[in-house]
Amino acid sequence: MEPAGTPSRKTMTLNLTETEMKALDDLSATKDISKTAVLRQALRLYQMIEVRMARGEKLFFEHDITKEKAELMML
Amino acid sequence: MSSTSVVYLKDHNAGKFIEANLIDGLTREDVEKAEADWTPFLDEQVKRMEETGVPRRQWPQHRHWNWRDKYDATEEYLAYRMFGIECQSQIQGLMLVLTAGKNSKIPSQKGKPLAYVHFLAAAPWNLASIVAEPRFSLVGSILVATAIHLSMEEEFQGRIGLHSLPQSDDWYRKTCGMTDLGPDQTVQNLRYFEMTPEQASGFLR
Repeated sequence: MEPAGTPSRKTMTLNLTETEMKALDDLSATKDISKTAVLRQALRLYQMIEVRMARGEKLFFEHDITKEKAELMML
Repeated sequence: MSSTSVVYLKDHNAGKFIEANLIDGLTREDVEKAEADWTPFLDEQVKRMEETGVPRRQWPQHRHWNWRDKYDATEEYLAYRMFGIECQSQIQGLMLVLTAGKNSKIPSQKGKPLAYVHFLAAAPWNLASIVAEPRFSLVGSILVATAIHLSMEEEFQGRIGLHSLPQSDDWYRKTCGMTDLGPDQTVQNLRYFEMTPEQASGFLR
Protein backbone atom coordinates (compact mmCIF):
# COMPACT_ATOMS: atom_id res chain seq x y z
CA MET A 1 0.00 0.00 0.00
CA GLU A 2 3.01 2.29 0.17
CA PRO A 3 3.16 4.97 -2.51
CA ALA A 4 5.18 3.36 -5.23
CA GLY A 5 6.30 6.55 -6.86
CA THR A 6 9.26 7.45 -4.67
CA PRO A 7 11.49 8.83 -7.41
CA SER A 8 15.25 8.42 -7.48
CA ARG A 9 16.85 11.35 -5.70
CA LYS A 10 19.80 13.52 -6.50
CA THR A 11 22.12 15.12 -3.97
CA MET A 12 23.36 18.70 -3.97
CA THR A 13 25.48 20.86 -1.72
CA LEU A 14 23.80 23.96 -0.39
CA ASN A 15 25.69 27.08 0.63
CA LEU A 16 23.82 29.14 3.23
CA THR A 17 24.77 32.06 5.44
CA GLU A 18 24.78 31.52 9.17
CA THR A 19 21.46 33.39 9.45
CA GLU A 20 19.87 31.33 6.70
CA MET A 21 21.13 28.12 8.27
CA LYS A 22 19.70 29.23 11.64
CA ALA A 23 16.30 29.84 9.99
CA LEU A 24 16.48 26.39 8.39
CA ASP A 25 17.45 24.78 11.71
CA ASP A 26 14.58 26.56 13.47
CA LEU A 27 12.03 25.45 10.87
CA SER A 28 13.37 21.91 11.01
CA ALA A 29 12.95 21.87 14.80
CA THR A 30 9.52 23.54 14.81
CA LYS A 31 8.10 21.32 12.07
CA ASP A 32 9.86 18.22 13.37
CA ILE A 33 11.18 17.30 9.93
CA SER A 34 14.70 17.19 8.49
CA LYS A 35 16.26 20.20 6.78
CA THR A 36 15.92 18.38 3.47
CA ALA A 37 12.19 17.97 4.08
CA VAL A 38 11.88 21.68 4.94
CA LEU A 39 13.55 22.65 1.67
CA ARG A 40 11.40 20.18 -0.26
CA GLN A 41 8.30 21.83 1.26
CA ALA A 42 9.64 25.28 0.43
CA LEU A 43 10.32 24.29 -3.18
CA ARG A 44 6.83 22.88 -3.66
CA LEU A 45 5.19 26.01 -2.27
CA TYR A 46 7.48 28.31 -4.26
CA GLN A 47 6.79 26.39 -7.46
CA MET A 48 3.02 26.56 -6.84
CA ILE A 49 3.19 30.31 -6.21
CA GLU A 50 5.26 30.87 -9.34
CA VAL A 51 2.86 28.93 -11.56
CA ARG A 52 -0.16 30.79 -10.19
CA MET A 53 1.48 34.20 -10.42
CA ALA A 54 2.48 33.46 -14.00
CA ARG A 55 -1.24 33.01 -14.65
CA GLY A 56 -1.85 36.52 -13.34
CA GLU A 57 -2.93 35.61 -9.79
CA LYS A 58 -1.76 37.45 -6.65
CA LEU A 59 -0.75 36.13 -3.25
CA PHE A 60 -2.44 37.61 -0.18
CA PHE A 61 -2.28 37.09 3.56
CA GLU A 62 -5.53 37.60 5.47
CA HIS A 63 -5.63 38.36 9.18
CA ASP A 64 -7.67 35.68 10.90
CA ILE A 65 -9.70 38.14 13.02
CA THR A 66 -9.68 41.52 11.28
CA LYS A 67 -9.86 39.91 7.80
CA GLU A 68 -7.43 42.61 6.67
CA LYS A 69 -5.62 41.54 3.50
CA ALA A 70 -2.02 42.27 2.56
CA GLU A 71 -0.46 41.34 -0.74
CA LEU A 72 2.78 39.41 -0.52
CA MET A 73 5.19 40.96 -3.01
CA MET A 74 7.22 38.33 -4.83
CA LEU A 75 10.39 39.01 -6.75
CA MET B 1 6.14 9.89 -13.73
CA SER B 2 3.84 7.00 -12.93
CA SER B 3 4.53 3.82 -10.96
CA THR B 4 2.46 0.96 -9.64
CA SER B 5 2.42 -1.45 -6.73
CA VAL B 6 0.21 -4.43 -5.94
CA VAL B 7 -2.71 -4.14 -3.48
CA TYR B 8 -5.64 -6.46 -2.77
CA LEU B 9 -9.34 -5.65 -2.97
CA LYS B 10 -12.17 -7.80 -1.66
CA ASP B 11 -14.21 -9.05 -4.62
CA HIS B 12 -17.76 -9.58 -3.35
CA ASN B 13 -18.92 -11.63 -6.34
CA ALA B 14 -16.01 -14.05 -6.16
CA GLY B 15 -15.91 -13.96 -2.36
CA LYS B 16 -12.14 -13.60 -2.30
CA PHE B 17 -9.31 -11.10 -2.42
CA ILE B 18 -8.19 -10.06 -5.85
CA GLU B 19 -5.00 -8.39 -7.07
CA ALA B 20 -5.17 -4.73 -8.06
CA ASN B 21 -2.68 -2.00 -8.97
CA LEU B 22 -2.12 1.08 -6.88
CA ILE B 23 -1.04 3.76 -9.37
CA ASP B 24 0.99 6.71 -8.12
CA GLY B 25 0.96 9.48 -10.69
CA LEU B 26 -2.05 8.86 -12.88
CA THR B 27 -1.92 10.00 -16.48
CA ARG B 28 -4.59 12.19 -18.04
CA GLU B 29 -5.71 9.10 -20.02
CA ASP B 30 -6.21 7.15 -16.75
CA VAL B 31 -8.35 9.94 -15.33
CA GLU B 32 -10.36 10.36 -18.54
CA LYS B 33 -11.00 6.61 -18.60
CA ALA B 34 -12.19 6.72 -14.99
CA GLU B 35 -14.52 9.64 -15.73
CA ALA B 36 -15.86 7.87 -18.82
CA ASP B 37 -16.64 4.76 -16.73
CA TRP B 38 -17.87 6.46 -13.56
CA THR B 39 -20.06 9.28 -14.88
CA PRO B 40 -22.66 7.25 -16.87
CA PHE B 41 -22.93 4.73 -14.02
CA LEU B 42 -23.37 7.50 -11.46
CA ASP B 43 -25.90 9.36 -13.64
CA GLU B 44 -27.89 6.17 -14.07
CA GLN B 45 -27.95 5.51 -10.32
CA VAL B 46 -28.98 9.10 -9.54
CA LYS B 47 -31.77 8.81 -12.12
CA ARG B 48 -32.92 5.56 -10.49
CA MET B 49 -32.85 7.23 -7.07
CA GLU B 50 -34.91 10.13 -8.38
CA GLU B 51 -37.46 7.82 -10.02
CA THR B 52 -37.83 5.63 -6.94
CA GLY B 53 -38.25 8.59 -4.60
CA VAL B 54 -34.98 8.26 -2.71
CA PRO B 55 -34.59 11.51 -0.72
CA ARG B 56 -32.07 13.89 -2.26
CA ARG B 57 -29.97 13.90 0.92
CA GLN B 58 -29.19 10.21 0.23
CA TRP B 59 -27.95 10.85 -3.29
CA PRO B 60 -24.16 10.65 -3.61
CA GLN B 61 -22.84 14.01 -2.46
CA HIS B 62 -19.74 13.82 -4.64
CA ARG B 63 -21.75 13.29 -7.85
CA HIS B 64 -20.62 16.69 -9.18
CA TRP B 65 -16.87 15.95 -8.77
CA ASN B 66 -15.03 16.07 -12.06
CA TRP B 67 -11.70 14.30 -11.76
CA ARG B 68 -10.49 15.46 -15.15
CA ASP B 69 -10.84 19.07 -14.00
CA LYS B 70 -8.99 18.23 -10.76
CA TYR B 71 -6.21 16.62 -12.77
CA ASP B 72 -5.92 19.61 -15.10
CA ALA B 73 -5.91 22.05 -12.17
CA THR B 74 -3.11 20.29 -10.27
CA GLU B 75 -0.90 18.40 -12.74
CA GLU B 76 1.67 21.21 -12.93
CA TYR B 77 2.29 21.32 -9.19
CA LEU B 78 4.99 19.38 -7.36
CA ALA B 79 2.87 19.58 -4.23
CA TYR B 80 -0.01 17.45 -5.56
CA ARG B 81 -0.02 13.67 -6.01
CA MET B 82 -2.89 11.76 -7.60
CA PHE B 83 -3.36 8.06 -6.87
CA GLY B 84 -5.70 5.48 -8.35
CA ILE B 85 -6.52 1.82 -7.84
CA GLU B 86 -6.95 -0.15 -11.04
CA CYS B 87 -8.56 -3.57 -11.16
CA GLN B 88 -10.18 -5.51 -14.02
CA SER B 89 -9.24 -2.70 -16.43
CA GLN B 90 -11.19 -0.09 -14.49
CA ILE B 91 -10.22 2.55 -11.97
CA GLN B 92 -11.82 1.52 -8.66
CA GLY B 93 -10.89 4.59 -6.63
CA LEU B 94 -9.11 7.93 -6.91
CA MET B 95 -7.36 10.24 -4.45
CA LEU B 96 -5.73 13.65 -4.71
CA VAL B 97 -3.27 14.61 -1.95
CA LEU B 98 -1.53 17.91 -1.20
CA THR B 99 1.92 17.47 0.35
CA ALA B 100 2.90 21.05 1.19
CA GLY B 101 1.57 23.99 3.15
CA LYS B 102 -0.92 22.24 5.46
CA ASN B 103 -0.34 22.00 9.20
CA SER B 104 -2.00 20.08 11.99
CA LYS B 105 -4.69 21.76 14.10
CA ILE B 106 -4.75 19.12 16.84
CA PRO B 107 -3.24 20.74 19.98
CA SER B 108 -0.61 18.00 20.52
CA GLN B 109 0.53 18.27 16.86
CA LYS B 110 -0.22 21.93 16.21
CA GLY B 111 1.84 23.53 13.44
CA LYS B 112 3.43 20.29 12.29
CA PRO B 113 2.99 19.43 8.62
CA LEU B 114 0.50 16.90 7.34
CA ALA B 115 -0.60 15.38 4.06
CA TYR B 116 -3.98 16.84 3.12
CA VAL B 117 -6.36 14.52 1.30
CA HIS B 118 -8.09 16.95 -1.03
CA PHE B 119 -10.40 14.41 -2.66
CA LEU B 120 -10.98 10.69 -2.24
CA ALA B 121 -13.65 8.61 -3.94
CA ALA B 122 -14.38 4.98 -4.70
CA ALA B 123 -15.93 4.10 -8.05
CA PRO B 124 -19.72 4.41 -7.76
CA TRP B 125 -20.28 0.63 -8.22
CA ASN B 126 -18.21 0.09 -5.05
CA LEU B 127 -20.39 2.26 -2.82
CA ALA B 128 -22.94 0.55 -0.60
CA SER B 129 -24.81 3.85 -0.39
CA ILE B 130 -25.48 3.68 -4.14
CA VAL B 131 -25.71 0.02 -5.13
CA ALA B 132 -27.19 -2.93 -3.26
CA GLU B 133 -24.18 -5.12 -3.96
CA PRO B 134 -20.86 -3.27 -4.23
CA ARG B 135 -18.28 -4.98 -6.45
CA PHE B 136 -15.15 -4.35 -4.40
CA SER B 137 -14.49 -3.28 -0.84
CA LEU B 138 -11.34 -1.90 0.83
CA VAL B 139 -10.86 0.79 -1.85
CA GLY B 140 -11.26 3.68 0.62
CA SER B 141 -9.15 1.98 3.30
CA ILE B 142 -6.29 1.34 0.86
CA LEU B 143 -6.36 4.97 -0.28
CA VAL B 144 -6.31 6.26 3.31
CA ALA B 145 -3.42 3.89 4.07
CA THR B 146 -1.66 5.24 0.99
CA ALA B 147 -2.08 8.81 2.26
CA ILE B 148 -0.61 7.72 5.62
CA HIS B 149 2.38 6.09 3.91
CA LEU B 150 2.87 9.21 1.79
CA SER B 151 2.79 11.30 4.97
CA MET B 152 5.48 9.05 6.47
CA GLU B 153 7.57 9.28 3.31
CA GLU B 154 7.39 13.07 3.63
CA GLU B 155 8.51 12.82 7.32
CA PHE B 156 5.05 13.89 8.55
CA GLN B 157 4.87 10.75 10.71
CA GLY B 158 1.54 9.61 9.32
CA ARG B 159 -0.34 12.85 10.01
CA ILE B 160 -3.14 13.40 7.48
CA GLY B 161 -6.06 15.83 7.33
CA LEU B 162 -9.21 16.15 5.23
CA HIS B 163 -12.62 17.76 4.96
CA SER B 164 -15.37 15.16 4.76
CA LEU B 165 -18.68 15.21 2.94
CA PRO B 166 -21.48 14.56 5.48
CA GLN B 167 -22.16 11.08 4.06
CA SER B 168 -18.58 10.07 4.89
CA ASP B 169 -18.28 11.64 8.36
CA ASP B 170 -18.99 8.39 10.20
CA TRP B 171 -16.56 6.42 8.06
CA TYR B 172 -13.65 8.76 8.80
CA ARG B 173 -14.65 9.01 12.48
CA LYS B 174 -15.40 5.37 13.25
CA THR B 175 -13.68 3.21 10.62
CA CYS B 176 -10.56 5.34 10.22
CA GLY B 177 -10.48 6.51 13.84
CA MET B 178 -9.70 10.11 12.90
CA THR B 179 -10.22 13.07 15.21
CA ASP B 180 -13.28 15.13 14.33
CA LEU B 181 -12.39 18.83 14.71
CA GLY B 182 -15.90 19.97 13.77
CA PRO B 183 -17.34 22.06 10.95
CA ASP B 184 -14.96 24.38 9.12
CA GLN B 185 -16.65 27.62 8.08
CA THR B 186 -13.91 28.28 5.55
CA VAL B 187 -14.65 25.06 3.64
CA GLN B 188 -18.43 24.96 3.09
CA ASN B 189 -18.92 24.06 6.74
CA LEU B 190 -17.63 20.54 6.06
CA ARG B 191 -16.29 18.71 9.12
CA TYR B 192 -12.50 18.68 9.34
CA PHE B 193 -10.79 15.43 10.36
CA GLU B 194 -7.20 14.69 11.27
CA MET B 195 -5.18 11.62 12.01
CA THR B 196 -2.31 11.81 14.51
CA PRO B 197 0.80 9.61 14.22
CA GLU B 198 -0.68 7.33 16.88
CA GLN B 199 -4.01 7.06 15.07
CA ALA B 200 -2.15 6.40 11.82
CA SER B 201 -0.24 3.52 13.46
CA GLY B 202 -3.52 2.16 14.79
CA PHE B 203 -5.14 2.35 11.36
CA LEU B 204 -2.27 0.49 9.67
CA ARG B 205 -2.15 -2.24 12.32
